[in-house]
Amino acid sequence: MDLHTAFLRARRGIREDANLYVVASSSLVVAFLCLGSAVLAMTNLSAVSERWSRSGRMTIYLRDGVSDADAQRLRETLAGLPEVESAVALSAADARAQFARDADLGGELAGLSADAFPASVELSLRLGTSAERTNEIASRVVRVSGVEGVETYRAFFERLESLVAAGQTGAAVAALLVLVCVLAVVGNTIRLAVAGRRDEIEVLKLCGATDGYVRGPFLVEGGLQGVLAAFVALALLGAAFFALRGPLDGTVAALTGVRAAFLSPSAALGIVLGGGVAGVLASAFSLRRYLAI
Amino acid sequence: MSQRGPRSQPQSAAQEPAGTRPFSFFRAGNRVDAAGREKPILVLEDVYKYFDRDRPVLRGANLTIDRGEFVFVTGPSGSGKSTVLQLIYRKLMVDDGRILFCGRDIARLTGESIPFLRRNLGIVFQDFKVVPHWTVAENVAVPLEILAMPQKVVRARVAEALERVGLAGRGNDRTGVLSGGEQQRVAVARAIVTEPALVLADEPTGNLDPQLALDILTLFEEINASGITVVFATHDHSLLEARPHRLVVIDEGRVFEARSGGEAWAGSGAAVRPAALAEPERPPVRGLAARVDLDPAALVPLHRVPG
Repeated sequence: MDLHTAFLRARRGIREDANLYVVASSSLVVAFLCLGSAVLAMTNLSAVSERWSRSGRMTIYLRDGVSDADAQRLRETLAGLPEVESAVALSAADARAQFARDADLGGELAGLSADAFPASVELSLRLGTSAERTNEIASRVVRVSGVEGVETYRAFFERLESLVAAGQTGAAVAALLVLVCVLAVVGNTIRLAVAGRRDEIEVLKLCGATDGYVRGPFLVEGGLQGVLAAFVALALLGAAFFALRGPLDGTVAALTGVRAAFLSPSAALGIVLGGGVAGVLASAFSLRRYLAI
Repeated sequence: MSQRGPRSQPQSAAQEPAGTRPFSFFRAGNRVDAAGREKPILVLEDVYKYFDRDRPVLRGANLTIDRGEFVFVTGPSGSGKSTVLQLIYRKLMVDDGRILFCGRDIARLTGESIPFLRRNLGIVFQDFKVVPHWTVAENVAVPLEILAMPQKVVRARVAEALERVGLAGRGNDRTGVLSGGEQQRVAVARAIVTEPALVLADEPTGNLDPQLALDILTLFEEINASGITVVFATHDHSLLEARPHRLVVIDEGRVFEARSGGEAWAGSGAAVRPAALAEPERPPVRGLAARVDLDPAALVPLHRVPG
């Protein structure tokens, strides 16, 4: 049987069992929403992790009262180290202005005093600088007079990495659960459809339909269910994501250094096509079990 | 064995190339080669079928049907009429013996070849087996869609088939709202829409009143007149008496020739005397054959057909 005929007959089948398919697809949409959310969270956590792993940053906070000249001398000294790509001295006012700009909070910070943020020297380390060498520089710098403390972001990065790893496991579990859900929902839907179309199937067989001709529309129906449910779930997730991103994006970007992003087209396509494949497989399993021809 | 030759065949459709599967070479009865036309369309040779190991439904059944024949198959309930038909369209498999359809042994067909056999058959049932929520046209179009015919051809042939069964212009009606007689006409239209070689009718009038039953029988006769072989299973005496077609009786697992097509049923005379019918190696005739008014001389067990 050609695909066109299978689609035509599947369309007729879906039309006849419309209520059944709406209910089943709704369950699948919820399942795909869970999967999409997990993948979305994973994607953004990975981006943050990637951003921080590449950054090689170090912030040296200066004590109150350290003069700009002392800060500049410290900056020049550190800039001379071979591992340092760039060094920037920020006064308390500069730090406050930078935060206000990154966080889109200019208006809210108007009442804050100029020395609310400490003066600092921001170092960018060269790519490939080891954690040991970073710690060694930090331990030497922290002994310099006028230095309040040194932030290497290593601890944060390690926590982020373990969070990403947990997110990946969570996404994998979600994918597995969704697969099970698709198999169960599509499988049962097809089983009910087969039961409801016993007469039709018998007529087809008596008229000389091959097994493939009989099975074709059911496989198409299973695949369409998976594809449509995944597509609707991603559309809902996308709508929610873009609705929330507007007010929160600046803050998130300031805190993490990364702007929140929706699923890439390839990831979205993968989920939709994966839904279709899972639907076809579920239908095939169900037919093998319940359609004796 | 019948001595009648084939009837005149309808206008031949385009010759189709031979396929790779059994029976894909063969569409309707009018499209076989000359050699194929000479052969009987259907031969049962010593066919045995058991549902219960000790009580075979068919015990060495033999039957030969020529192309273009109209054959009544009758017998008491449970005698094996439906079993014979189911063996022919391979719903069931023979336990022993051969069934040759157009010279090919369908008992040896693999499962994947069975659909190609059925595409050469039209099958009509007592319970119609139409899809009630489909339209009449959708029901009739099924065999053509299975053959992947273009929609234009499908529409034309469905309209033609509906006209033949007296349902012209009813294609868009929902089948479930039709009367029993009309639903059976839909089933007949579906059976003939591909111009099959052989139409098998399994008690097609069983659910109809006597007048409708006669109408349906007439319809099958018209189909037969166009060159399609018809095997019509029934236990309705009124139909058997109304038409002088060849009559085959299935009883006690065997097939008996009750009369050939040229003989008049009503004039057959004396009641059957089972003892007089029995051949030495054959059991006496019981069941329907023993009850009807039947000339004993006409009730002859059918013999094996030489291969």
